[in-house]
Amino acid sequence: MSAPGGQIVVDDLTKVFGGNVRAVDQLSFSVEPGSITGFLGPNGAGKTTTLRMVLGLVRPTSGRATIGGVPYRQLPNPTQTVGAALESASFHPARTARNHLRIMCTVADLPMQRADEMLDLVGLHDAARRKVRGFSMGMRQRLSLAAALLGEPQVVVLDEPANGLDPDGIRWLRGLLRHLAEQGRTVLVSSHQLNEVEEVADRVVILNHGRLVRAGSIAELSAGTDSVLVRSPNLQALHTALTGQPVTVEPVDPTAVRVRGMSAAQLGNLAFTAGVELHELSLQRFDLEELFFSLTSGQ
Amino acid sequence: MIRLIRAEFLKLRTTQVWFWLLLATIAVGALLAVANIAPHDGIRSEEKVPDLFATFAASPAYILVFVLGVLGVTTEFRYQTITPTVLQTPSRWAIVTAKMITYAITGALYAAVALLAEAAVGVPWLNSKNIPVHFGNSEVQHAILGTFGVIALFGIIGLGVGALIRNQIVAVVVGIIFLIVLENILLAIPVVKKAWPYTPNGGTQAILYTHGDATPVNGVHLLSTWSGVVVLLLWAFVPAILGAAITMNRDIT
Repeated sequence: MSAPGGQIVVDDLTKVFGGNVRAVDQLSFSVEPGSITGFLGPNGAGKTTTLRMVLGLVRPTSGRATIGGVPYRQLPNPTQTVGAALESASFHPARTARNHLRIMCTVADLPMQRADEMLDLVGLHDAARRKVRGFSMGMRQRLSLAAALLGEPQVVVLDEPANGLDPDGIRWLRGLLRHLAEQGRTVLVSSHQLNEVEEVADRVVILNHGRLVRAGSIAELSAGTDSVLVRSPNLQALHTALTGQPVTVEPVDPTAVRVRGMSAAQLGNLAFTAGVELHELSLQRFDLEELFFSLTSGQ
Repeated sequence: MIRLIRAEFLKLRTTQVWFWLLLATIAVGALLAVANIAPHDGIRSEEKVPDLFATFAASPAYILVFVLGVLGVTTEFRYQTITPTVLQTPSRWAIVTAKMITYAITGALYAAVALLAEAAVGVPWLNSKNIPVHFGNSEVQHAILGTFGVIALFGIIGLGVGALIRNQIVAVVVGIIFLIVLENILLAIPVVKKAWPYTPNGGTQAILYTHGDATPVNGVHLLSTWSGVVVLLLWAFVPAILGAAITMNRDIT
């Protein structure tokens, strides 16, 4: 483990391509060590451009991004500080997986057996000496991940790492990310697969049209968003019983309403006391996907 | 820097281009030896023996090492391995410097292979014609050293052109057209041809042939050996520096 301070800070970052395309627009957020942060947004929202600015590959038009307080380009030994997996195509097709990693080991002054250890870790042991040309999308993703983790970096930045992985691979990836965060590392994962992120991320940063639309922990985002679905043949009586209670009621269909501000138990008790017949009483959990679409649509 | 150079050699060794270009170098070296000895106006006396060892650098065979240098940068952009390269080494100067050193050394190794191929074919053949080959002869040594220098520099020239242009096909085609076609057209045009000694070929000819008496090429006088070295060094370094400062610094998307 390298020195502490693996916080990623994006500060008022703007990137204008070709004079008029604002790919990223005055974006600010931070990513904390010891947690997994999901970086979300529809295609073209500016996620990849932002990550590339954080990694010093793309120069910001204005603003800056730092890792542990230092711009990426000034990191003394980037491989041991930040591991990044950006796209699955960054391999020479005629080079073997093992040689790809051995070149990286040479540059970073890591022992050559790190290459083999990482290939074992990502499940590419048997493909180590095969040329990348014949690799599936999922195998390339695994190789990207092996490259990112090669220097045991404090900060891990992954762009759509679940693309091309099968369900087993996705479960494995989730466990790996959780493990990395538990070791105190900073994990930033971009994705458009919202349910995957919801299951693994502690925090999310949601981007649309290059701008920040929401950032916070899943707990913060979901606070006050739980609701209870109540189905009754006599909604009129239920409305009467709820009059004066600190709740909001919205109709769902002719026989059901969604109630916020009261737990399912409280609602059940209220209906029982008022003698209202209930056919359903169910807790509706926070739905990241719903939040995401409400935040990113119609803009 | 040592680590970066070792990594560049590993990059070169772990793909196959070096092997095919090395085979071509051996074949071309052997063929050039034949072309220098077999014809009636070929090497018939001891004074002409240095030509055998100058021929690889003096002919367009240097294109092989030039192409190797071009590919040293442009394949990184073609297959986007430039992304991990730059992530590991954010300084473009460090990357280009490591590549320049790597491809200069590689060029010298290819020069050695070409000279060995020429010697393997040429020396027994000339001996059979009772033309002795003395490696202690200063003109032979000049041709051999000149070949090492010229071919090593063409490795860097290729690398610089690759860094400047970044696109593999464009860089190879532009380089070959310039070196083989445009320079010869230049040499054929009156007045303009006075610029020819300052081209890569002009510098090369100066390095290889201005030992002893310099014969004019198409009426144009060659520079001195060391001026030729300076000309080739400029052709090697200017594109590489421009590449590192400008085109390599563009956004990698």
